[in-house]
This record gives sequence, C-alpha cells and structure tokens, in this order.
Amino acid sequence: MLRFVVRRLLLLVPILVGLSILVFLWIRALPASPAVSLLGERATPETIRQIERQYGLDKPVYIQYLRYVENVAKGDLGTTIRTRRPVTDELRERFPATIELTIAALLFATLLGIPLGFIAAKRYGTWVDHSSLVLSLLGISIPVFFLAILLKYVFAVQLGLLPTVGRISVLIDLEHPTNFYLLDALIAGDLAAFWDVIKHLILPAIALGSIPLAVTARITRAAVLDVQNEDYVRTARAKGLSPRVVDERHIFRNALLPITTIIGLQTGLLLSGAVLTETVFAFPGMGTWLVEAIRQRDFPVLQGGILFVSLVFVLVNLLVDISYALINPRIRVS
Amino acid sequence: MSVAEIEAREIQLDAPSGLWSEAWRRLRHNPAAVVGFVLVGIFLFVAIFAPLIAPEDPRSGDLSRLGGVCCPGPSADHLFGLDQQGRDVFSRIVYGARYSLLIGIVSVAVGLSVGLFFGAIAGYFGGWVDSVIMRMTDIMLSIPGLLLAIGIVAALGQGIWQIMIAVGVTQIPIFARLLRGSILATREADYVLAARSVGVGGRAILAAHILPNSISPVIVQGTLALATAIIDVAGLGFLGLGPPDPATPEWGTMLTDTTRYLQSAPHLAIIPGVAIVISVLGFNLIGDGLREALDPRFRGRA
Repeated sequence: MLRFVVRRLLLLVPILVGLSILVFLWIRALPASPAVSLLGERATPETIRQIERQYGLDKPVYIQYLRYVENVAKGDLGTTIRTRRPVTDELRERFPATIELTIAALLFATLLGIPLGFIAAKRYGTWVDHSSLVLSLLGISIPVFFLAILLKYVFAVQLGLLPTVGRISVLIDLEHPTNFYLLDALIAGDLAAFWDVIKHLILPAIALGSIPLAVTARITRAAVLDVQNEDYVRTARAKGLSPRVVDERHIFRNALLPITTIIGLQTGLLLSGAVLTETVFAFPGMGTWLVEAIRQRDFPVLQGGILFVSLVFVLVNLLVDISYALINPRIRVS
Repeated sequence: MSVAEIEAREIQLDAPSGLWSEAWRRLRHNPAAVVGFVLVGIFLFVAIFAPLIAPEDPRSGDLSRLGGVCCPGPSADHLFGLDQQGRDVFSRIVYGARYSLLIGIVSVAVGLSVGLFFGAIAGYFGGWVDSVIMRMTDIMLSIPGLLLAIGIVAALGQGIWQIMIAVGVTQIPIFARLLRGSILATREADYVLAARSVGVGGRAILAAHILPNSISPVIVQGTLALATAIIDVAGLGFLGLGPPDPATPEWGTMLTDTTRYLQSAPHLAIIPGVAIVISVLGFNLIGDGLREALDPRFRGRA
C-alpha cells in the first residue's frame, strides 16, 4: 500500500512541473503584456520598461520561470492588479466558498443519486427505472447555468423563498476566522447566521449538483445490476439470507466501488460547473474570482488561481485512487 | 425450386449480419435513440434552413417595438417574443442553431482528429512515446475543462474560431486516451498476432485490423462529445467569452444578461435554455443508444 501511494506521489511531480510550465507560458501568451495590464493602456514605453525591469520581465524566459517557481514554492503568488492585495489573501477568502459549495453539491448528488440508482436497479424494467433513466439523461443535458437561472427564477423570483445572491445576508455580522461560513457561524455560536448561510447554499448546490446527481444515479444503477448477477449474490440468497441483508452486505458494498470512482471523477466537472453557478448567483468563490480576473487581465490572480485549482483537482484524484486501492485489494497488486 | 436455390437461401439466412447493420437495427428499435434522432433532426433542419424559417433578421432590432417595457413575451407576431434590443427571439433562436451546430461539429472534429492522432501513436508505439503522450494528457486533464477553455480563449482572443479551438482542445485528451486504451486491448488480440505472423507490416495492421476494431467507442464518444461541446460553447458565451460581435445570435450569449430581466421577461432566459437542452439531449440520447447498440455484450438482445 505504501509503495502504491509513493508511486502515485512520484507521478504527481511531472504533472505539476508540466502544469506550472503550461500556466507560466499561457500567461505570456495573453494578448496584453503583464506590464500593460498593470499600468493600463496609456502607459509610456519608458514606464513599461521600468515595470518590466521591476518584475524581472526583461530577463530570459527560463530565468523568469525559475524565479516564478521559487516564489510559488515560498507561497508567494504576487499581488493582484485590481486590489493590490496578496493573491494568497484573496485565495484564502475565495477558496473556502467554493469548497463549501462543492461539498454541498456533492452531498446533494450522492445522498439522492445513490438511493435513486439503487431503486431503479431493483425495479429494473419498470416505469420507475425508465423514468429515472430519462430524468438522469435530462439532468446531464441541462447546462449548469441554465438550471441555475431556472432555479433562481422559480424559488427566488416567483416564490421568494430563498436568497439569490452571495453567501450570507448583508445584515448579518459574522466574524470569519476560517472563511468557511458554516464553520464560522458555528464557532460564533450564531444559529441564525448558520441557517442564513445554508439558505444561500441550497439553490447553487442543487444547480451544481444536478449533473453529478444524474451521473451517480446512472452508475449506481449499472453497478447494482452488474453485481446482482454475481455468483456470490446467488450463493448468499441460496443460503437463505434475507433480501435486505443481501442488498446491504453483498450488493451495495460491492457496487460502491465504481460509484466511489465516479464521484471522484466528478470533481473536475464540479470545479468547472462552479465557475458558471457562482456567476449566476454572484457567489464570491474561485469561479467568479477567476472570471473577473480574465476580464481584467489580472495575471497574478489567473496564474495563482488556475495553478491552485489544478493542484487541488490533481490531489483529489490522487485521494480517489488511494481510497479506491483501499477498498479494492486487487488494484494494489498490479 | 431447385436444391441449389434452397441452399443459397439458407446460406443467405445464416450469413451473420455485420456489426454495423446489427447496431443500426437495434438503434431503430430503441425508443430513446429514436427520440434522439428526432430531436437532432429538428436541430439540423432548423440550422440548415435558418434563412427560410426565420421571419426576421436575427441581428438587428427595433427598440421602438418594445413600447418602453422589457420585454414583450410570446405573441402572434413574435412567436418567442422580443429581446431587450427589440429583436425577434424566434429568429435569433433559429440562427443560433447554426452557430451551435457549426461550432460544436468543428470543435469535436478538432478534438477528435488531434486526439486520435496522438492516441494512435501512443497506443501503437508504446514505450517512451506512450509515456510522454499520456503525461501530456494527464496535465491537460488536471485543469478543469471549462477553465482550460476560458484560458485558451483569453490567450487567443475572442472569436468563433478561437472558441472552436478552445473547446476542441479540452476534448483532445479524452479521445487520445480512449483510442490508446482500445488499441492496447486489440493489439494483443489473436487476429492481430495472426496478421503479424504472416508478415503484414506495422502500418497495414494498424490501418486494417486495429483501427477498425477500436473505432466504435470513438464513435460513441464523438456523439456524446458533440453534446458536451454545445454545452461548453454555450457556457463560454454565457460568461461573456462568446463571439465578439454582440449581434451574433449565439444561444449561450443570449442567456448572459437575462438574469436582470427574470422578473419581467423570463422567456428571454427560458427559450434559449430550452433550445440548448433539446439539442444536447438529442445527441446524448443517440450516443447512449449507440453505446448499447455497439456493445457486444448487448448483442442478440432487443
């Protein structure tokens, strides 16, 4: 097991190096040079040269890259152009928001998707099964941002039940030691704030969780159908175990393998979807942050933000692989 | 009837139907796939005959028709109502089908051809070539798809070609891995060993034996990729990274400003959204049906 983890960690090295080169080169490929985006369109050539010298942009590219890697390794991602604050400070505010949203979406997707898929498989071929298939296909086919707009329209505009923008009501005063607002509310012991944060999370989480929900339901259905016909399930039934015990211990536990993998693979999709969901709900997370940065050519934010998001994504995939190996002993050998 | 004739008929009856005709037969008997074909058919029809279907110019409007409110909903004159610039939404939706179709097909073609090229090289040569290509796909897959597309559009500038490339590039690693995987699986197959043992050259084996047998998952993925491409293009448009000309009737772009008018003019958001869902659902249904039809495990059923 340890060897497996070490090998996977070693595989991370080329990915991270490649990723950092890619992001570094990409920033240089942007139409507006960093100096211009810092100084604005009307900068004189002299001041541009000055800025370039100040940021080391006049040095050869490989030296620039090494300096950049050195800074990243020290945890210095530079300062943003728009607010002139350290990128890491803004990251610390934005990242927890997206994580909170993503976790809420994943909870929605799995807590609903697994039972749905299970029921569909158990009622294989009936209308329950068919309608769950149709629904899940529909779920995959709705663009996240369109669903978000629809939810906003029905629950916020028409029914007035839930808030439409942000993470928390402006009127609520809450300290943010962790920036995970749910945690912050708990730390402060403020239940009203806690409930308010939850209300702000419901619609974005449903919008973001819809595709993973559909995928989870489909995979669960397929996995349960697969496992149901295995010899050990027949044996378990033959020796007289109650259907419930067979369902729980034999079918469900084995079906969980592909389900875990698929849920892990959804992270990339969730991070992409978060960009769109956050835009619709003006949710101050990584997504809105990066999109704003693109519009304003805020290159330190882009560089740091994309690198960070990708790093998280790669690490989550690694964790999925490791947990998979933990659940399934057969993987470890190969 | 002569004996020869009877025999001939029997042979004809026994002749195994090919993979494709068999798949086609099962596809036609799959109601979901048929619905998919109908939806995609409508989408194609509208896209191709847009100038004949659309009653008005989708690009220019007339503010005076709004009568000071935003925005008049569906009526007899304007099937889908007017947008905030006094343009006929129906005409915009009809022309929008062209953009979605064109951008979708070209971007999948980009992703598919480049992806298959690298996948074939990786799968066939193996060794360090394989390792290098696979690490490249790892790197590309480590950036969430939409962010990668946003990044490419930001670097290349806004425009239809740039969007096609951006969305296409995000699909390269998927196709590369898919083809590589299925080549690795077929490379060791008995018929390939047999071909090699009678002295068939490497390139001929790749073209005549390995590729045809690896291609069916690629076709399935290609169909599903069209669905993803349409969604991604709309997503870029929604974020304001669509075609630079604001008059372009692109479905995703049409959704951009609509949240402001949700209260007074929900049709502005709902109609383009439904158009996207219909076309995407169509490709997903066909892709799903194809997967089942081409999967040998399902053969003989249905």
